[in-house]
Amino acid sequence: MNTVIEVRDLTRRFGDFVAVDRVSFHVEKGEIFGYLGANGAGKSTTIRMLCGLLAPTEGVAMVAGHDIRDDARKVRAAIGYMSQKFSLYLDLPVRANLEFYAGAYEIESPRKRVQEILELLDLEVHRDQITGALPGGTRQRLGLGCALLHRPEIVFLDEPTAGVDPASRRDFWRLIRSLSREGTTVFVTTHYMDEAEYCQRIGLMVDGRLAALDTPRALKRDLVPGRMFRVSNVDERASRAVLSGMSGVVDVQPFGTRLHVRVRPGGPEAPDLGKQLSQAGLSGAEIEEIEPTLEDVFLAVVDPTKGSAAA
Amino acid sequence: MRRALNALIQKELRQTVRDRRMMVLLIAVPTIQIIVFGFAVDLEVDRVPTVVVDQDRSVESRRHVRRLFADGTLHLRYQTQDTQEAERLLISGQANLALIFPSGFQRDQLCGRPTQVQAVVDGSDPNRGRSAGAAVGGYFGQVGPMLRIAPPSGRVSVEPKLSFNPGLDTAKFMLPGIIGVLLLLITTIVAAMGLARERQTGTLEQLMVTPMAPTTVILGKILPFAGFGFLDLSLALTAAVVIFDMPTRGSLIAVYATAGIYLVATLSTGLFISTISRTQQQAFLGGFLFLLPAVLLSGMLTPVRAMPAWLELATWLNPVRHFIELLRANLLADAGFLERWPNLLALSLYGLFMTVLSISRYRKTLE
Ligand SMILES: Nc1ncnc2c1ncn2[C@@H]1O[C@H](COP(=O)(O)OP(=O)(O)O)[C@@H](O)[C@H]1O
Ligand SMILES: [Mg+2]
Repeated sequence: MNTVIEVRDLTRRFGDFVAVDRVSFHVEKGEIFGYLGANGAGKSTTIRMLCGLLAPTEGVAMVAGHDIRDDARKVRAAIGYMSQKFSLYLDLPVRANLEFYAGAYEIESPRKRVQEILELLDLEVHRDQITGALPGGTRQRLGLGCALLHRPEIVFLDEPTAGVDPASRRDFWRLIRSLSREGTTVFVTTHYMDEAEYCQRIGLMVDGRLAALDTPRALKRDLVPGRMFRVSNVDERASRAVLSGMSGVVDVQPFGTRLHVRVRPGGPEAPDLGKQLSQAGLSGAEIEEIEPTLEDVFLAVVDPTKGSAAA
Repeated sequence: MRRALNALIQKELRQTVRDRRMMVLLIAVPTIQIIVFGFAVDLEVDRVPTVVVDQDRSVESRRHVRRLFADGTLHLRYQTQDTQEAERLLISGQANLALIFPSGFQRDQLCGRPTQVQAVVDGSDPNRGRSAGAAVGGYFGQVGPMLRIAPPSGRVSVEPKLSFNPGLDTAKFMLPGIIGVLLLLITTIVAAMGLARERQTGTLEQLMVTPMAPTTVILGKILPFAGFGFLDLSLALTAAVVIFDMPTRGSLIAVYATAGIYLVATLSTGLFISTISRTQQQAFLGGFLFLLPAVLLSGMLTPVRAMPAWLELATWLNPVRHFIELLRANLLADAGFLERWPNLLALSLYGLFMTVLSISRYRKTLE
């Protein structure tokens, strides 16, 4: 494996405010690297530094083998970027946007490449439509298309599926995975935890700091030890109160109308939880053991008293 | 660089052509403005209210008065013996021109002594001032030699006297000024909005992650609008020549070359303004703040020579001044390109400086 992004102590301050705080990580070629965090955690600021749009206050970052400070232009030639805010020309047709970026990157045989991208991203039928009139999912595909025109080694996608319907999100991730299979490194931010499962490794950003970094599986194992049960079919608020007071229960989180109950290793089993509930007059509860989700990981990281420290 | 630049130009043209408001701003507005301004200037030329002070009351003086007013440029509004009265009429604005025939005019004329008619022109309205001065000067310039034939050595000379604004010329003098200001208004505003709009809509960020050099991007903003500038120049020149008989004595190639430098100067100023503004509104306001002094200190309305020395010095930094002077010299007087080299040099340096400044600020505009 070879490292295509290497970041050491990357820091960006805006006045006194530290948006990105001494972040270090590296990304391997062909990897799908997920960057997770709440709004304002510093995800976009990190990406913008790596793309050479924003100068770091401190730290070093090498992208595609070039220093982002000294060789920003070489970095730019090697990467594709899709910003969080849609940033193509809304007043131009789809094809004009692609043709423009084909020219801007001075790619070889632009006509052919534009056609390829139209086909790859299923944009053929939209090619003469005005970009501003496209639905969200199609727009995002076009954004990805423009970022891929020059066959970059790395693509940075900043919340590429924000505000897109679930079906389009699935399609989009299918594209991302196929890119990765072909050797393109994908650096993607999201706040959808279900999408993060598709990433090979995940960096969790909390208030500008990289709070955790590993594969989804390892994150769950290390940060959410013990077991998880899903409790459904009972009054959520009442049962939450009952279960939180139970010994061996680390955390109870509502997920919709259900509860995720995390117990210590060697703590209560599913029947124990059921018994506790029926003793409190809450019968009919359905309880099954589940795998922890990244959401659980995220909650554990944001509130460490309920994470591994408490276990 | 060539291909990226082509892509930028093509993109800019596509966007502009699709934007109906931009097309109106770039093509219809200038055409209408040159015609409206032109007529405004042209109409004022006629019927300059005049007061005649005929202290001689001779056959000769009356003959000249009659012929002076024959072509309609001047309008005989008052006649008096009293120069004080004439001055009062000038100051109150009831007359814009006073013609004073001194007593002894006919006698001197017949004896062949040099004779003087005094023309006092109200320069506060430069167009009228110019046309009045031109009418009087033109008349005596023509009849002077004829007078000399009748009485062997008789001469009439006009001694024009201006309170201020000594630039005497015809209305055609105004047209190059109007053209210069027209080009200025359109190109500065369009360029100022150019980058500001891209920043506000987010498209600038996408441009900046491409490996395109800042120079390419700035040229990509200048060149297409310079194209529109040339189109506007052609429309304006055509209107000025066809409708207002503006002469084109110099070479048109020199006119277009000068205009090219001028357009780079105004467009790069607009771009610079947009690199220091956060929003389109700020850019618009910034453009306006530049336009106002640029027009006032251009010499279009008030001749630069009539300004205080320090202000006159400041006008050297004004591209509009140089362009208008070059254009006037070229169209009206057929001054060669090179005779006006100080203007040309100042204009070129200004354009170069602003372009370099915009290029160097381009990368900083996102932070
Ligand atoms: N140009 C800027 N000036 C000042 N503060 C900024 C700027 N850009 C981002 N920030 C701040 O930095 C923090 C991180 O922002 P961002 O990286 O966009 O977060 P995320 O993408 O994770 O939602 C936010 O609090 C934001 O307000
Ligand atoms: Mg963000």
